[in-house]
Amino acid sequence: MQLKRKRSIGESLATATCSLLGALPAARVQADESGPWQAESALLYYAEDGDRVRDISFDGALSYAFDEDRTLRLNLTLDSLTGASPSGAVPANTVQTFTRPSGQGSYQVPAGELPLDDTFLDTRVALAATWSQPFGESSRLSLGVSGSTEYDYLHLGVNGRWERDFNQRNTTVFVGLAYAQDQIDPVGGVPISFAAMQEAGDSSSKDGSNETKDVIDGLIGFTQILSRRSLLSVNYSYGRASGYLTDPYRILTVVDPLSGQPVADPAGSGLNLHLYESRPDSRTKQSLFAEWRYAFDRDSLALNYRLMHDDWGITSSTAEARYRLNWSASDYLEPHVRYYTQSAADFYRTYLVDGEPLPANASSDSRLADMDAVTVGLKYGRRTRHGEFSLRLEYYRQTGNPDPAPIGVLTGFDLVPPMTAVIAQVGYTFNF
Amino acid sequence: MRGMILGSLLLMGAAALLCGCTTVKPWERDLHAREDMQPNALDLAIDDHIYFSKEASSGGRGFAGGGCGCN
Repeated sequence: MQLKRKRSIGESLATATCSLLGALPAARVQADESGPWQAESALLYYAEDGDRVRDISFDGALSYAFDEDRTLRLNLTLDSLTGASPSGAVPANTVQTFTRPSGQGSYQVPAGELPLDDTFLDTRVALAATWSQPFGESSRLSLGVSGSTEYDYLHLGVNGRWERDFNQRNTTVFVGLAYAQDQIDPVGGVPISFAAMQEAGDSSSKDGSNETKDVIDGLIGFTQILSRRSLLSVNYSYGRASGYLTDPYRILTVVDPLSGQPVADPAGSGLNLHLYESRPDSRTKQSLFAEWRYAFDRDSLALNYRLMHDDWGITSSTAEARYRLNWSASDYLEPHVRYYTQSAADFYRTYLVDGEPLPANASSDSRLADMDAVTVGLKYGRRTRHGEFSLRLEYYRQTGNPDPAPIGVLTGFDLVPPMTAVIAQVGYTFNF
Repeated sequence: MRGMILGSLLLMGAAALLCGCTTVKPWERDLHAREDMQPNALDLAIDDHIYFSKEASSGGRGFAGGGCGCN
């Protein structure tokens, strides 16, 4: 005799969904009349201003509920990236020549322009699977594997999460652990830290063909139902990455202390002096995340905040709000705002100064700079008898500050120019 | 760093204690069960991937992860 009814996929997914995220289900989903399968799909277009990064991406998830508590979820992501990415060098008032990362060929950047490497081209395939099941009377366990591959990068990971309900399921506590091992195979080889960029065909600044890094993440948290309308989730996470954490394509320009002009490579390469960056070989991050959700009679509101701190000297705050306007039984609008701010890494340098001793580490990656970012977006969703169609548009703007402050001719350039991006996403989810 | 760990654990413990006395009965959870009160996993994963590749922070809600050469 079968005591357990077949669980609808909608009901199972609160658990499975959050297993994938390593977070908690907000609440149990009501049963519906759909079958045990759910397919979610999204087509994403991401484009930065100018000739910078563009990404066309497909994200899909297929879930199957074996019974009331057992769910398998499979994820597939395909990314197609093109465009140009800042090399880390600063503009100059003369034409600059750079060697391509492959070491084969070179490109020129006009005077006054931020040097961008226009060979940015990659395809990424990522797969993940998560199995969720009961574990004892009031506990659940989920286990997952993930893998992704790019032209110069391979990722393999495992994760697990255990959660337990207390207080008549008003309180859920969870613990999660993830481990990943990644391999980096930089195009043209692994650059030697602080080695000078060489002319095309000269590989003396490279040593070896690949590097690895390990990442361990731990999560602990709880979700508490506060009232009939509201709940609170709080997570603490601790992550440690060790190994090769350097960006192999990122360079720093060495400038004259008075004029601010790039100095010529003293070794006579014919190029200006640009050094490959160097980062510490470990990074420990901690974050505290809290989310509050509130259900109005018709609409709902979600507010969250994250505080992050790491031993690279970066402290960041992220605040986000989503309001779900259920303006009819089948249609909804969801405005979204997000604000992000971070302090610079201790070793962030927009450029290096000739004659000064080299620091232990230095990176010109603007993602490690003192930075603010704002996102505003709107999602429209329409439910049909078979599924849900959605359209999401977001606008993202990032502004950063150089460090050290510009000197000489550099004062006339925007060394960390603002970056804006548009994100458009079409989604369709259905049960069967 | 140690202060943050301690602060986080204290905050979580205090919140759990404060909230622990609340009991909303299963039949009173109709609003919590609504679809719009659940996180949208696909949207969140897409957002996490974008921000991971453009900012120095990641994770918080879930694993900081990565699995991408973009950062």
